[in-house]
Amino acid sequence: MNSNYGKTFQALIKREYWEHRGAMLITPLSIAAFFAVLMLLGIFNNNVTFSTNDFQINFFEHLPKMAEKFDNANFEEQTKIVHAGLYTPMIFFGFVMLVISFFYTLGSLYDERKDRSILFWKSLPISDTSTVLSKFVAVCVLVPVLYFAVIVLFQLYILLFATVAAWFSGSSGISFWAASNLLSVIFNTLMTLIVVSLWLAPIWAWLMFASSWAKKVAFIWGTLPILLISIAEGYLFRSSNFIDMVGERIGNGFVILSYNTKILFDDHKFDIGTGNWYQTFGNMEFWIGLIVSAVFLAGAIYTRRHRDES
Amino acid sequence: MTNLIEARGLSKSYGSHQVLNSVDFNVERGKIVGLVGPNGAGKTTILKAVLGLTSYEGHLKVLGLEPDKQRHQIMQKVSFIADVAVLPRWLKVENALEFVTDVHPNFNLDRAKYFLSKTNIPMNAKVKELSKGMVAQLHLALVMSIEAELLVLDEPTLGLDILYRKEFYNQLLAEFFDEGRSILVTTHQIEEIENLLTDLLFIRDGEIVLDASMDEIADKYIEVMVSKENVEKAEALKPVMQREVFGRKVYLFEGVGREELELLGELHSPSVADLFVAKMKEGK
Repeated sequence: MNSNYGKTFQALIKREYWEHRGAMLITPLSIAAFFAVLMLLGIFNNNVTFSTNDFQINFFEHLPKMAEKFDNANFEEQTKIVHAGLYTPMIFFGFVMLVISFFYTLGSLYDERKDRSILFWKSLPISDTSTVLSKFVAVCVLVPVLYFAVIVLFQLYILLFATVAAWFSGSSGISFWAASNLLSVIFNTLMTLIVVSLWLAPIWAWLMFASSWAKKVAFIWGTLPILLISIAEGYLFRSSNFIDMVGERIGNGFVILSYNTKILFDDHKFDIGTGNWYQTFGNMEFWIGLIVSAVFLAGAIYTRRHRDES
Repeated sequence: MTNLIEARGLSKSYGSHQVLNSVDFNVERGKIVGLVGPNGAGKTTILKAVLGLTSYEGHLKVLGLEPDKQRHQIMQKVSFIADVAVLPRWLKVENALEFVTDVHPNFNLDRAKYFLSKTNIPMNAKVKELSKGMVAQLHLALVMSIEAELLVLDEPTLGLDILYRKEFYNQLLAEFFDEGRSILVTTHQIEEIENLLTDLLFIRDGEIVLDASMDEIADKYIEVMVSKENVEKAEALKPVMQREVFGRKVYLFEGVGREELELLGELHSPSVADLFVAKMKEGK
């Protein structure tokens, strides 16, 4: 029975992948390919630059000088530069991931009703709980893992690219790899993406709940209540706690996402109570967010189960 | 357990509108039951209640389980085809097979592959690339490969052309149905299925107005083509319906003895469609 359940759950996750392969994999792959090509073209345009506040390298304007400059920097500086090069794309891909996740959760329990395929899914021995949870796991784990895979490919590409560029300037390029601390970057990348998605879980769960409930245009059902509550609060209490809370949640998601890069160059630490992915686990708000998510998910399960489908 | 479905006092209302009014019926094992009624009579509501897709009041057991609480257990032994539009358009045929294999303990993949091999459906096509008829074939192949005890069909051939419609029911009889299983079907095309049915349920305004086996119906309902001189005698026996065919009166009698009617003219079994019309007009 247990292994059956595991098999069913796996199948449900696969199902999400099949339906959303475009958004979950093809999109980041296309973006990666686009930038990979752009970087190659950049060689000829001499405008690819990695820079820090106190240290700047224009990779292709002065190729011969570049390697020398890099080799002359101390190891800590080298690591900073390489990490900036590796984490910056992660922020960009992570941003795309969050946008994709927004639309994914918004459609997650609405599209199947719109095209009536819910009648097919409900004709199979799968509980509503498993179905809803599979979609939640898809957005919190599957999507980050797929984006992670693409990002790692892109990070390796950047290192190879820099290495080859270094060869042209007479250096071996090995110092890039030595300074990269690659395994830790890869691990950080994966955990950051998952933790960002978990940090935003109450948003995803709310959108799934709205999606299970929406009669038409799920976008309205997902966003309008937040707007209305904010307006009502402002009107009644002359305060903006609710919208501040939502805004802070989303804002801090981006802080977690970009932390790996910001920490490199900002001396002052963030004072918003969250930081990199493992500090997030120590943040009470993170756990409260998960509890709130559970409530919304229960609402989504209840709605999917008791909603009349015709 | 001979009753696969058992409904007692099954009711459902949307607001003040009573869709089902304390309905009683059984579906026994080995039967093919046609659930027939005009639009809005409550057919689909009954099916949805049986499948656990809607809430209801009253007693309803499907395979001994309660559909509103135990849908996903029931669906291990119950299959369902609505119309052809419900297979997700983005789903690939091979993925559909893989998915159902993974989630359904009673699905036989080899059987499904065998059924599909007899069609022109390519394994790597998406549902949206298939014709309506092919989608119906695919859905039927999936459903017939599930070792279900009860198959529920809701207008399964809606929008299909005649070739596919015939084939659909023929295959169902040849490959799926046996004495251990039951089928509950609703359709507007009664002529198509009346020869398959073992039992009939007529529903009107949320109430069952006829619940009988086809044999009982053949005994109870007799159509007589009455010659002119017997018209008065025939009308004295209170026919439930009359119509004219080529200038001759045809009367439908309920519960009048065969011997008595034979004196009036030629006897026929009424078609389900005629019986339906009679029952729907009754008391109106």
